[in-house]
Amino acid sequence: MNVLIVHAHPIPESFNHAIVAAARRGLEAAQHTVTTLDLYALGYQAVMSDDEWQAYESLSPVRDPMVAEHVELVRSSQAIVFIYPTWWSAMPAIMRGWMERTMLMGVAFDLNESRRKLIPRLTQVRHLIGVSTHGSPWWYVKLVNDNGRRMISRTLRFNTGLRTKVSWHALYALDRRSPQKREKFLMRIESEMRNLR
Amino acid sequence: MKILVIHAHPHQQSFNSALCDNVLRGLASGDHDVRIRKLNAENFDPCLSAEEWRAHLDPPETKPQLASHFDDLRWCEALVFVYPTWWGAQPAIIKGWMDRVLAHGVAWDLPDGANRLRPLLHNVRRIVTVTTYGSKWRVNAIQGVPGRRIINRSLRIICHPRCRTKWIAFYGTDSSTARQREVFSQRVETYFSKL
Repeated sequence: MNVLIVHAHPIPESFNHAIVAAARRGLEAAQHTVTTLDLYALGYQAVMSDDEWQAYESLSPVRDPMVAEHVELVRSSQAIVFIYPTWWSAMPAIMRGWMERTMLMGVAFDLNESRRKLIPRLTQVRHLIGVSTHGSPWWYVKLVNDNGRRMISRTLRFNTGLRTKVSWHALYALDRRSPQKREKFLMRIESEMRNLR
Repeated sequence: MKILVIHAHPHQQSFNSALCDNVLRGLASGDHDVRIRKLNAENFDPCLSAEEWRAHLDPPETKPQLASHFDDLRWCEALVFVYPTWWGAQPAIIKGWMDRVLAHGVAWDLPDGANRLRPLLHNVRRIVTVTTYGSKWRVNAIQGVPGRRIINRSLRIICHPRCRTKWIAFYGTDSSTARQREVFSQRVETYFSKL
């Protein structure tokens, strides 16, 4: 299975990067082909340009070679894994930008004739997986709503096949977690990834 | 009232940019001080950098690159957002404005030992959002309206305890008629002229 990991954290020695490494270990142990997009390391341009917006509904909406490469990766992946820290109850801007610029019309979805109905185009994606760290405790995240999770497990999920599975792994109140708890979380991610079918 | 308008759209001739003009025209008929930030036009960088992440607990004076945004945020009594909803929520440039400008010492404080933020934006008593959705209302309802909750909960919590929120949304832009858009523009302008 081709697995695409998309992640966003500005600090290379962050816990989020440790999660990416754990996920990779698990996936590679299960013989999956893994591609990692570290958006910060790529220097990803997060804002959709005027040119791209105007070309959105044209036949060639992709204007940037990096986006073209990512579109090909998305099209050939059977699983997409998002790994990010939750800031203001959602993913960092750079990952929002990646969704906007990569999940284009004709790539992730199409509209029908009347433009009222969405036709999913990510039907080859069998797994959508999210891994996120929260500074806030669980109850606070539930109170303000886990909006990053909604955007992936529902908004993006609408563009995949009917049988696509969504799984979610979150670590709450990160700053107060002991090293043991963090280590346990990494092991959990690694074993989940190893068991991905 | 002191009003800060945050607008985001890549294209200047779009319906959304026109809505921002409606907002400004409506506000001009009242007795308000208005400041406008057009994030795309000013090429705002939405990515919180490694340096800013490392310095996220430092006082705001250490971030001169954001000083004018901090100043606007501390000055305003009402925050108005005008943006298109993409993937259920704000475009990256608005999310990045939140990531970077809602900073320690300006928007929130984290005393020693606390496990969550203490609000500092007590000057903000009102948040109004004008947004356009490509899809229908019910589709967004199933998605769990993430964009609305990011503003009306996550941001609302760090404002004045009695801060009021208002959501003005246009649904189904993809299949809308010129007449529907016209009616909505008028509604927006009327709302802001009575603010």
